[in-house]
Amino acid sequence: MGVQMRDRRPSGGPRRRGWSVRRYMVLFMVVLLAVAAMAAVAVRYIAEQDARQSALADANFGARVAATAIANDLLLLQQTTAKLAANPQVASVLALPGRPCGLNFAGGGAFSTGHIDIVKSDGTVICSSLPLTSGSVYAAADWLPTAIRSPVTEAPFVDPVTGQISAVIAAPIAGGIGTVAAIVALAPVGPNLAATLGGTRQLEFLVTTNDTKTALSRSLQPARWAGKSLAGTAFASSGTPVERPDVDGTTRLYGRYSVTSMAWTVFAGADEAAALSYADQLSNRGQALILAGVGIMLVVIFVVYRRIVDPIRQLSLVIRGSAPGEALNAVVGAGATEVTGLAEDFEKLMATVHHELADRLTSEQTALVSERNYRMLFEGHPQPMWLYDVDSLAFLEVNDSAVARYGYSRDEFLAMTTKDIRPPQDVPKFLELNTKPLPSSDRTGPWRYALKDGSTIQVMVTSHAVMFGDHHARVVLAEDLTEGQRLERELALSHARADSNAELSRAKDEMVSMVSHELRTPLASIVGFAELLATREVSPKQRNDYLAVMLQEGRRLTALVNDFLDLSRLEGDRLTLRFAPADIKALITRSIELFSDPAGAPIETHLPDDLPLVRVDSDSIFRVVTNLLSNARKYSPVGGSIEVGASVAEDKVEIYVQDKGLGIPADALSQLFGKFYRVDARDRDTIKGTGLGLAICKNIVEAHGGKIRARSEGLGKGACFYFTVPIVREQAETGDVLVVEDDSGFAHLLEAELAARGLSSMWAADAETAEHLMTKARAVVLDLLLPGLPGEAFLLRLRAKQGPGLPVVVVTLKDLDPAESLSLQKAGVTAVLRKGPGTAAMAANLLARSLVTELVAS
Amino acid sequence: MRSRTPTALEALRTVLIADDESSIRLLVHATIESDDYVVIEAADGAQAWALIQKVRPTVVLLDVQMPGRSGLEVLRSIKSDPSLAGTRVILLTSKAQEGDVEAGLMAGADFYLTKPFSPLDLLTRVDEALQL
Repeated sequence: MGVQMRDRRPSGGPRRRGWSVRRYMVLFMVVLLAVAAMAAVAVRYIAEQDARQSALADANFGARVAATAIANDLLLLQQTTAKLAANPQVASVLALPGRPCGLNFAGGGAFSTGHIDIVKSDGTVICSSLPLTSGSVYAAADWLPTAIRSPVTEAPFVDPVTGQISAVIAAPIAGGIGTVAAIVALAPVGPNLAATLGGTRQLEFLVTTNDTKTALSRSLQPARWAGKSLAGTAFASSGTPVERPDVDGTTRLYGRYSVTSMAWTVFAGADEAAALSYADQLSNRGQALILAGVGIMLVVIFVVYRRIVDPIRQLSLVIRGSAPGEALNAVVGAGATEVTGLAEDFEKLMATVHHELADRLTSEQTALVSERNYRMLFEGHPQPMWLYDVDSLAFLEVNDSAVARYGYSRDEFLAMTTKDIRPPQDVPKFLELNTKPLPSSDRTGPWRYALKDGSTIQVMVTSHAVMFGDHHARVVLAEDLTEGQRLERELALSHARADSNAELSRAKDEMVSMVSHELRTPLASIVGFAELLATREVSPKQRNDYLAVMLQEGRRLTALVNDFLDLSRLEGDRLTLRFAPADIKALITRSIELFSDPAGAPIETHLPDDLPLVRVDSDSIFRVVTNLLSNARKYSPVGGSIEVGASVAEDKVEIYVQDKGLGIPADALSQLFGKFYRVDARDRDTIKGTGLGLAICKNIVEAHGGKIRARSEGLGKGACFYFTVPIVREQAETGDVLVVEDDSGFAHLLEAELAARGLSSMWAADAETAEHLMTKARAVVLDLLLPGLPGEAFLLRLRAKQGPGLPVVVVTLKDLDPAESLSLQKAGVTAVLRKGPGTAAMAANLLARSLVTELVAS
Repeated sequence: MRSRTPTALEALRTVLIADDESSIRLLVHATIESDDYVVIEAADGAQAWALIQKVRPTVVLLDVQMPGRSGLEVLRSIKSDPSLAGTRVILLTSKAQEGDVEAGLMAGADFYLTKPFSPLDLLTRVDEALQL
């Protein structure tokens, strides 16, 4: 599964990535909008330019047409005047003044206003289309002289009749007698041109002199402009035709044309704002179109995106596993047919892949589980198993059990062949068997196999042929017959242990019952007699008897409680044992003295004189010996000799107590030292005891590092108890002061006080022990009341052996009579102190002083 | 003190105390021995049974935990002997365990006393046993 997962992750290497369609579409939209915007700007610009051009063209055209019209109209007037001048009636009129005449000025075209006059050469008007003005009206006119002789067209001049800026078109009357002059007002020319030629552009017309310095007529404000100088305006400022002069605040584009027959220039001005506003409309229309186009493109893009790009992206996500498979439904619902088809195909493909993958995974997993199971069976099988190569016999695999059982490490195993774990003498037989082809599965044996430690085990071999990689191998189950036998033994042992546990539990119950009984029995006597004494009148003898029983039972109770406490302290390591050198012979002898019964059989002793000192807690070992002697007596109801002996065994002294009493059955020997254990035999029913003695003995001996055992030939054959205690290592026991004191507590205190004064010490719990140690000491602290040999006797022996020099301080509870005191003084005792508080310190001081003195003296 | 006039029917009554502890035997003896009762002693079960068969005591005080034949064994022997049907048995036990007490009562003991016991109680029990 992990492998497939890894394959789906993108590879870490470089990867060429094009832009996504979405990005391309965004780019396309941006470009489209940019182009549209540029087009819109261009449309406007072009429209404006176009409008200007067209306006200018219109203006030029207007100027030309106007110029032509002016020229035609002038021509018409020239023809008219010429015709009139040629008319004889006109000459006659001129010849016969006062003759009624009728002239009519038919204004038309550009020149709508004016009058025709027949003028005499002196300037007098003979006839006029206007009412006659008397006098030589045109006498001052500069054109008159010329006009009498030849046609004249001239402008501007101020019409003396109307006072208006006018043009004169005159033709001479034959004979030089006068002229026919058409006087036309210039001011209306502009408006007339505008009216006839202005057109939709509402052209403005300006007629100027050829030098453009004087305005002759203007369609705008005609009255103001006729005859006005144009100096300072845009028309006059430049010699070249003016394209866009500013006049009356409207920006116009002007065209110009010259009137050839007159020295006039006609300007036609198109309104730029009007032209531009049209262009504006035009460009707006164009922009609207562009906008519409862009809108359509956006819709197209959206549709393409929605139906193709997005579904493809979704599909891609599903394929990459980033989106759930259900997203495919969205693709199928929203995409274009091709995309939908692709999605469906993909879905089918995925379904197939899933199906096949699942199939493969299932079969792989099954194989894996199966292999794991077999491997677990192999690895964890409690019997040794291995795999070996059929051809080379080399181990290919071994299980943990084989490693544990045979003692070889796995590596050692794999470096060996199956021959190597057989005893050499068995190998030929094995090889012979191996020459024949083995059945695919067989069970042979028992074979002998050698363990690493050299021992041999019996094995039943079950093997099967298998393929292991490309090896022909056999898997072997080596059933361990030896191990089987061992397991059976262990099982038996474990049953035995369980039995002994049950036994222990039973013993505990019995102990509780025993304790209960042991405590209640003496209590019953004590309480019972006390009640009798309290409630009855009794004779003095009875009272004494009762009290004696109570005392005896009370003591028994005390002993029992003490034994219990001691045992519990010993078992809990809470009993402080003070180890010191001790003369074991003296100790045993003292113990025997307790049991010396003149009526009974004597106790025989086998105690060599040269027994070494032992290192023991004297009180405890005394108790052990006493207990053993007590038992020997108790269990020898009919008497019989008791023998006590000691001997050296290596670094121990072994002490034994042998009786010829009831004996101990063999099965009880191992349990004798348990608490409250009693041999269940009728012959000892009446023998009393706390049942704790031997348990206490065992604990004491073991606390000394020794052992206690019992031996018996059987019931009625007597018993022997023996135990060991450690011998003192000679050189280990040295000290300045020998403390001879049976009270271990006081001895301990003395040793501590001596140590505080820089003096080392040896402790002997009795005089016999002290005799062994006295040669090593430089001073002695001596108790007189000692077990065994009394202190006084020891003192005499000390003096006899060591001479009088050795300082001796006597510390005792004994009340000395004068004779005793005297004999001590004679023995050269340094001081006699009575035991009490502070005595130990005093004794230590005395000794310290005398030892220093001795040092100085020497 | 006790004042009991023996009648013709009421011969001197014999009480047997069977206990391995001499101090207990002495206590029982001192408690019961009077004008009305004669006390005999046994130090173990076997001795007790022998005395019972021989002397046929009216009341038997049996220590349960005795070496040899235990008190219970002696009790069962008494109960299995029809000629001893009138023998009253009081058990003395240092064990207060219910099992022992129950076993004793099941086996036909009339009373039981747990050590340590009051001598006056013992006397009361013996008197009561005789009234049964």
